[in-house]
Amino acid sequence: MDNTQNQWTDRWQNFWRVFKKSRIGIVGLAMLALIMFMAFFAPVIAPYDSSSTQDVTIDDIYNPPSAAHWFGTDDAGQDVFSNFVFGARISLMVGFFAAFISIVIGGTLGLVAGFFGGRWENFIMRFTDVMLVIPDLPLMVVIVALTKPSLLNIIFVIGLLGWTTTARVVRSQTLAVKSRKFVLRARAVGAGNAHIISRHILPLVMPILVVQAVLVVSLAILNESALSFLGLGDPTALSWGQMLNYAFGRGAMSIGAWWALFFPGFGIVWVVLGLTLLGQGLEQVLNPRLDTHHLMPSRPVIQSSKAALDDTQALLKVQNLSIHYVNDEGKPPARAVENISFSLNRGELIGLVGESGCGKTTLMLSLLRLLPSAGQIVDGKVFFNGQDLTALSEAEMSKTRWSGISIVFQGAMNALNPVRTVGDQIAEAIVRNIKDFPREQIQARVIELLDLVGINADQKDAYPHQYSGGMRQRAMIAMALACNPQVIIADEPTTALDVMIQAQILELLDNLRKKLGLAIIFVTHDLGVVAEMCDRVLVMYGGVTAEYADVDAIYNQPRHPYTQELIKAFPDLSKPKKKLSSIPGYPPQLDNLPAGCRFAPRCPHAFARCRVEQPSLHNLGDAHLASCHLVEASK
Amino acid sequence: MSAEKFLEVRGLKKYFEVSRPGFFSRAAPRLVHAVDDVSFNLRRSEVIALVGESGCGKSTLALLLMGLEEPTDGVISFEGQVINHVSDSDRKDLRRKIQMVFQDPYESLNPTQTIEEVINEPLEVHGIGENKKERDQRVKKALEDAGLKPAETYLKRYPHELSGGQRQRVVIAAALVLEPEIILADEPVSMLDVSIRAEIINLLADLRITRKIAVIFITHDLGSVGFFADRVAVMYLGRIVEIGTMLEVLEKPQHPYTKALLSVIPVPNPRMRRERIILKGETPNPIDIPSGCRFHPRCPVAIDACKVSDPPFIKHSQTHQTACLLLVK
Repeated sequence: MDNTQNQWTDRWQNFWRVFKKSRIGIVGLAMLALIMFMAFFAPVIAPYDSSSTQDVTIDDIYNPPSAAHWFGTDDAGQDVFSNFVFGARISLMVGFFAAFISIVIGGTLGLVAGFFGGRWENFIMRFTDVMLVIPDLPLMVVIVALTKPSLLNIIFVIGLLGWTTTARVVRSQTLAVKSRKFVLRARAVGAGNAHIISRHILPLVMPILVVQAVLVVSLAILNESALSFLGLGDPTALSWGQMLNYAFGRGAMSIGAWWALFFPGFGIVWVVLGLTLLGQGLEQVLNPRLDTHHLMPSRPVIQSSKAALDDTQALLKVQNLSIHYVNDEGKPPARAVENISFSLNRGELIGLVGESGCGKTTLMLSLLRLLPSAGQIVDGKVFFNGQDLTALSEAEMSKTRWSGISIVFQGAMNALNPVRTVGDQIAEAIVRNIKDFPREQIQARVIELLDLVGINADQKDAYPHQYSGGMRQRAMIAMALACNPQVIIADEPTTALDVMIQAQILELLDNLRKKLGLAIIFVTHDLGVVAEMCDRVLVMYGGVTAEYADVDAIYNQPRHPYTQELIKAFPDLSKPKKKLSSIPGYPPQLDNLPAGCRFAPRCPHAFARCRVEQPSLHNLGDAHLASCHLVEASK
Repeated sequence: MSAEKFLEVRGLKKYFEVSRPGFFSRAAPRLVHAVDDVSFNLRRSEVIALVGESGCGKSTLALLLMGLEEPTDGVISFEGQVINHVSDSDRKDLRRKIQMVFQDPYESLNPTQTIEEVINEPLEVHGIGENKKERDQRVKKALEDAGLKPAETYLKRYPHELSGGQRQRVVIAAALVLEPEIILADEPVSMLDVSIRAEIINLLADLRITRKIAVIFITHDLGSVGFFADRVAVMYLGRIVEIGTMLEVLEKPQHPYTKALLSVIPVPNPRMRRERIILKGETPNPIDIPSGCRFHPRCPVAIDACKVSDPPFIKHSQTHQTACLLLVK
């Protein structure tokens, strides 16, 4: 049991570490803590006994705030501050208990509906819908009016009517968790419903339930105040709402005794605001769906001298490019890309190969200057048609993006907008990038583009979900072609597709290259695909160039051990019985790179020098480059 | 050997009902023919690869074998006992013997569980292990057998702290801890980098030798089955169209679909670029199954007869069978 306790402290510490960063959450928590402290120590804090009416004279009624009565006095001559302090107890108590009832009911119903589905779900959700349509407050008024307006009744009425949103939120989260593969895996192991709910569903529903609970508490407090204000509160329990009710009903307005109304009202606003802020803070920490990162134009690059025209004829030339990810906690930056150079000619197809996390995508995004905001080009240049892209302003860059260099992302379903037709999205890509494109020609252009990628014109007005995986990827390619780019970056365009569809897409890209003279950078971890269609290959490892050569040299005379091992790990159909060799270990983390060669820890040929000294890139002739100490020795 | 009854599948069918045409409509509901008359058998410690494109019914077949879906028709028997309609308690025993490894190692682990909790869970569900010490030992052994050594360094970690390959090993360890006789691996490597794929395949291949586990390896990539499958079954639209030993299927494919699948597998050598048979279009939806041979609309060599008659299985050898009209003599 010691174990589980440790885990919980771990989880709690983790939670607190992240929560601390949410300023909104901290402010909310502080506001709430203050009121709770006051409510808890009310007998100590309040200067006067709350309900005592002894020694009250006519002079004590509606006295303005003074040293003796900080918040003034009310219609019964009582100290408003004392009532305010004790009122917090009532308001918070009603809020918490009512919310507890709502959360238990809503949570259970939502869980049952989401988990078991079918008839139960139908029944529960229709009931919830009906309850949602009935306005809460009038119904509460009716019920409280019909029963005795005691504190207990109020708690139950608010609690029993306030569960609807919780049920809906919990149901949708349960549905989302239930459909995840680890639940299916637990079933396959033989786990029953009770086990799955307690181990797999609840831990992932809980965070959302906590956020929901905070909001339900604030709603319950508001409801209690409203009921009391309308005169339906428990006359023996002086909540903030009740204070408002008395002050309002007994002429505080006409006398001008603003303090009798202001302070209880302020208390309600304070608590509700505090809870709302806390809820938002918690949501930022606990709701995983909000944890996304966005692509945006990167910060200005550090060096920015306008470079002169380069001498070579290459269409795209990347020179000694280095990209670091800066992180905010004072740790060293992640060196995602270091000193990468390559060039691309018109109509050429270059393959960029490497395992996940080796900097391939970072390198590609930097060519478009679309790095996440923490990513910075710290060194190097990117020449496109002789112009240095790293030195361009954002406005100039946006002209090159898409109409000069465009990109086809992996995972076409996520890259397409599900609620707009494919034709519409292609049209948008044209209009957004070519401002003066004649309106009347847009539809013709869309059809032309679809035809180019092998999609029938009558599919133009279909939505992405009506397309198959291969068709979506074709649509993405059509979109990338919208502005007649010279270079297309294809970032793992076939990774999620079946082999036959992959072959279709590869054939399409190859045809487009021949037909339109496109230059293509094909990013992949699949050596087979590269061998099928590329002219040159750049093998990346841990952010650096491992080997860069002609496709034939890469496969038939690989010089870098990493390339050699990669090829050995690839299944070769012509030798079916051959056992696959695998590369032990894992690629390095880019913020914790080894001191010497980045491949040394996994390299079968590594020797002492490899662990201390990073190898430089050696030219082996015929534009064959490799960064390995062994290559240098054999040169 | 052949007399021994291990896992046998006969005439297995699974149809799903799509939306009924309307509450009062008399029309028959439309059916998805996910698995449509599949038969094969699996021997102890044998590796069989089920190959096909998405939509061919291979994942549904896996769920049927796991008892996570009820078959519409047909028989699955395990060690001579029919298992497609068994009570939950019997099912629990079976679950121990047939375990599954899923495709996506990022999705098939609960992010809030530590690795120890993940591996311990199956033991807890089945009430295995006298005490905590024995369970701990089993957990550690499973982790080390799955190649996560030393086990201690992984126990307290969470899935997000591991790489894709390590996670897939954790999933395999969670299956191993129950000491199963069959592992059903549904595309276990398709989400992983090529360099890691070999590792996972080698691991499964080792397990069948060290632990005598039979493996049903489901994949869309014929290229990855080469080294460790004993037999290969190629599926198209819910049915097996060709089955044979690995060498028979890879070196002497008979069905036009198998030939096309083989031709598009990239060969890692630019000097061996060859003519690819790229089929047009994609697998049709399994609601409206084409008449005759279900492959004929995409078949590059179809003849008129293919549109009318459903081809029977033709035996080429003791082990090699193909369903194609062109091969009928």
